[in-house]
Amino acid sequence: MAKSTKKDNVLVELKNVRKWFAVQSGLLERLLAGRTDHVRAVDGVSFKIKQGEVFGLAGESGSGKSTIGRLALRLEEPTEGQVLFDGADLSALSSEELRRERRRMQVIFQDPMAALNPRMSVGEALRHPLRIHFPDQSKEHRQMILDILARVGLTPPENYYDKYPHQISGGQRQRVVIARALITKPDLVLADEPIAMADVSVRAQLLALMNELKDEFNLTYLFITHDLATAKYICDRIGIMYLGKLVEVGDLKEVFTHPLHPYTQALLAAVPVPNPHDRRTEPMPEGEIPNAINPPSGCRFHPRCPVAREGHCDVESPKLRELRPGHMVACHYAEDYL
Amino acid sequence: MSKKGNNSIDTKEELNTTLSEEGIGLLGRFLRGRIWYGAEWYFAVAGATVLIAILLMTLFAPVLAPYDPNGFVAAPFIPPGGGHQLLIVRDSDANNVNIDSLDQQVFGVIRNKNGDKVARELTDSITRYGDLDALALALAAGEVDFAFVDELDESMIPLSVNNLTIVVRGMGTSFPLGTDNLGRDMVSRVIWGARTVMSVALLSALFSSTVGITLGLISGFMSGLVDRVLSLTMDSLYSFPGLLLAIAMVAMLGPGMINVAVAVSVIYIPTFFRVVRGQVLTIKEELYVDAARSLGAKSSSILLEYILPNVIPSIVVVFSINIADAILTEAGLSFIGLGLPPDIPDWGYDLSKGHSFLVAGHWWLITVPGVLITLVSLSFSMLGESLSEILNPRLSDQ
Amino acid sequence: MATQKNKSKANENPLMQIEGLHVRYNTRIGQVSAIDNVTFEIEPGEILGLVGESGSGKSTLGKALLNMLPSSAGVDGKIILDNENILDLDYEGIRDLRGRRVSMIFQDPMTSLNPVQRINQHLLETLDVHKAEDIKENAISRIKELLERLGIQKERIEDYPHQLSGGMRQRVMIGLGLVLNANLIVADEATTSLDVIVEAKLLDQLREIQKEYGVSIIVITHNIALIAELADRVAVMYAGRLAELGAVEDIFDRPLHPYSQGLLKSVPNIQIDDEEELYRMPGETPSLIDPPKGCRFHPRCPEAMPICAEIEPSFEEARPKQWVNCWLYQDHTDKPEQRIVVKD
Repeated sequence: MAKSTKKDNVLVELKNVRKWFAVQSGLLERLLAGRTDHVRAVDGVSFKIKQGEVFGLAGESGSGKSTIGRLALRLEEPTEGQVLFDGADLSALSSEELRRERRRMQVIFQDPMAALNPRMSVGEALRHPLRIHFPDQSKEHRQMILDILARVGLTPPENYYDKYPHQISGGQRQRVVIARALITKPDLVLADEPIAMADVSVRAQLLALMNELKDEFNLTYLFITHDLATAKYICDRIGIMYLGKLVEVGDLKEVFTHPLHPYTQALLAAVPVPNPHDRRTEPMPEGEIPNAINPPSGCRFHPRCPVAREGHCDVESPKLRELRPGHMVACHYAEDYL
Repeated sequence: MSKKGNNSIDTKEELNTTLSEEGIGLLGRFLRGRIWYGAEWYFAVAGATVLIAILLMTLFAPVLAPYDPNGFVAAPFIPPGGGHQLLIVRDSDANNVNIDSLDQQVFGVIRNKNGDKVARELTDSITRYGDLDALALALAAGEVDFAFVDELDESMIPLSVNNLTIVVRGMGTSFPLGTDNLGRDMVSRVIWGARTVMSVALLSALFSSTVGITLGLISGFMSGLVDRVLSLTMDSLYSFPGLLLAIAMVAMLGPGMINVAVAVSVIYIPTFFRVVRGQVLTIKEELYVDAARSLGAKSSSILLEYILPNVIPSIVVVFSINIADAILTEAGLSFIGLGLPPDIPDWGYDLSKGHSFLVAGHWWLITVPGVLITLVSLSFSMLGESLSEILNPRLSDQ
Repeated sequence: MATQKNKSKANENPLMQIEGLHVRYNTRIGQVSAIDNVTFEIEPGEILGLVGESGSGKSTLGKALLNMLPSSAGVDGKIILDNENILDLDYEGIRDLRGRRVSMIFQDPMTSLNPVQRINQHLLETLDVHKAEDIKENAISRIKELLERLGIQKERIEDYPHQLSGGMRQRVMIGLGLVLNANLIVADEATTSLDVIVEAKLLDQLREIQKEYGVSIIVITHNIALIAELADRVAVMYAGRLAELGAVEDIFDRPLHPYSQGLLKSVPNIQIDDEEELYRMPGETPSLIDPPKGCRFHPRCPEAMPICAEIEPSFEEARPKQWVNCWLYQDHTDKPEQRIVVKD
């Protein structure tokens, strides 16, 4: 598929995507209950990612952000709704065509040790995507690998070529994972908590690397994180997820300075700030994140929301609406915060 | 949980990674192995040494074995180290004996003793006697001039009564491991038996591992109906007592080395299957398999390049145990008479036959093959386990 | 629950003194110097943040405080609590130490709670194990009171660990620590596996506990922002040694050690007005089998001097109540450069 070069081109679009996982319950339970329960990991999410931007998806556990990442790259099939990549619905492709299309969308995983085959050397691990997508250029493979290794900061690259994952440090491993994702020159990169497991002093290096590579390789990132502070340094736009729903989305600076959804406000307040003179005084919402099998009725956040109104918020689920330019929020009473 | 990840990994893994293992090839690892791997290295080397010895035995059997393993070369039940002969003459001749010119003389020997053999080497005419007393009398009476008697019977010879003297000791060869109930040299049987063992046991282990691993890989990877059917089949096979199954197979297939190997191998296929399938189910969920999928890799490629290499360490141990077990099962078959034909020297066969002579005090018939079987099994196990420890790139925490 | 309202920080008697602690592990590859010559004190009723990256030795230190190091570890130095060296305690002494005098909260509460024991059983067992006859009276009601204080409803006390969420399990762990009036709680990455809102609530809880019960809490973490929100004093560890120690405001406003300075500049700050780019510290944390000679940070230090590669600096008080392990603030006969004198 040829890549469209229009600016502002929408690279990824999710339309009302739902992903429900059936809960494995015993035979007896199923007989007695008469139905299967589902974990509603993603429950009606729509958004667009423009080419060249870094779109952040933030949330706590159970928010569904990782699942959305996998759905966007077609590593999972949506239960309902559509996932479009560069305007085309990938479910229309045969599995062989889909495999080839994968060249254009790659993943940077959270745990570099787990993401690399312990029995493959760095060179072999990087050669594999080349063998799949550029099989005719086998003579150039080695050089392509050396080039990308150097580009991600593993120099001299020859030293790393034959090393195994356990022989290099955590930060170096993550660079190998990044190299593997970029070696096929993809358009879209899903970064699923890419720096969460790296040492504190190494994270800044990796973030800077990802930023540089984005410009150099013309990448679009779907950046999934639970760490809003990190998101600030890389994301252009951000979406906040809660229990399978997108509650707020917009330009990052805009959302962080004018959070309109009570959950976003709580989340931003909760993030610890490295300044002892500015300790948080705001109280945190009551309760904990409910389970995704039986989410609360109406607005998912209403049991914990300080401003929820009975009769409305517990009945009707709010839809995303644009309250400020480019800034959408799913809350019935968000106007109060404008 | 969204907030995974433990960065305060004070584990040795993180600390080890900056240690340089650069440019150290296999030989280098071998030589440094003692320091790096400690105990495992010793085990691996010990195991490998024994197995190399066995391998040499297998390859060079005709050269190494002193006798034909099936030939009745001496008296039965000669204990290890025994077999030397005493040369006895009449007292009056004692000083005139010239060993070099014993050629062409007439010797008296006990029927079926290996004095027979020694004597035959020296001359054509031998006179056989029924027992020691008869021989002694014959010698004293002058029917023969020389007599060969087994060293171990020394105390039983009525020397003084008949005026006889022992002139030479230690003639002929001894049998380091003795002879069995049919007078066959144990050393030769051991050496030739190594061939049988390696062939049958190795063959059956290779066969069961190939089939078991392949089916396990497919079953674990594909899940669904294929998995269910295969698992059920394997479970039923597994529930059969091994020996019975082998008997059934041999009865079906008939005698012969290959058939026995196949029969024995069938018992172990379910074990490989289970182990591999279990591993595949776990590894399938690993992140790097997911990563391979996201790269666009084909299923076959994922199975062979990502899953199989990580399954192998767990197989190594099973393989070595399989070989040990195969040896014993085959012995069991021989015991019943369903194994290899008796003209093929086989440790298992000797082991089972030797059992009955233990009571009579002939301990070496069962001990010699027993020790060897144990040694080979142990070596395979040691080598297998320590190899898997060494070859596994993931250094374990202390 | 007896409240120990001993909040006076002016109290001259420290709760625990760590003196010259050395810990070495023997690994297959060589000997790892996990903690090297660490000396400091924990005051009563304070929250001390222990910050470090992987390989800094902070977890080892946490374990040492409960005498939980593996028996194969080589340990030198003293840890003094109530006038005795806890490293010298016998089996009975250690059992008494853990839970009653010092308690620990681990990173993963699921694995530190017994999955087949209900919560109230856990608490009762703790009381039993420590033969806390004096507290056993009204034990149930005390436990309920404590748990409610921690935000766990009365009904949940009969639950099994898997029925509780991560945050609640951590609170149970805190409860276990408090039920015997332990004076010191060691929290080793206690919030790392929790969501950020739950973490914030747990922090509030810890602060309240400190205020109300006067316990000291040593918070071991790699999360610097967390320390800023919670700690009274901060100890920064690098490669098994203490780099810096001081009041939280001093450490954050005027860090002295180049490592602390670099670390603080590389921490993401969610506040939008903070626009600066994150500082990228060069290099990586060193191997502890063959650590750098002299100051362990010198290969990565922008201010390294010749002496730093040769001789180890000592942990000196460069400013009142702020200690730092760096040649910039010390003199030596081999050091020609001037010492930086820190004015308040």
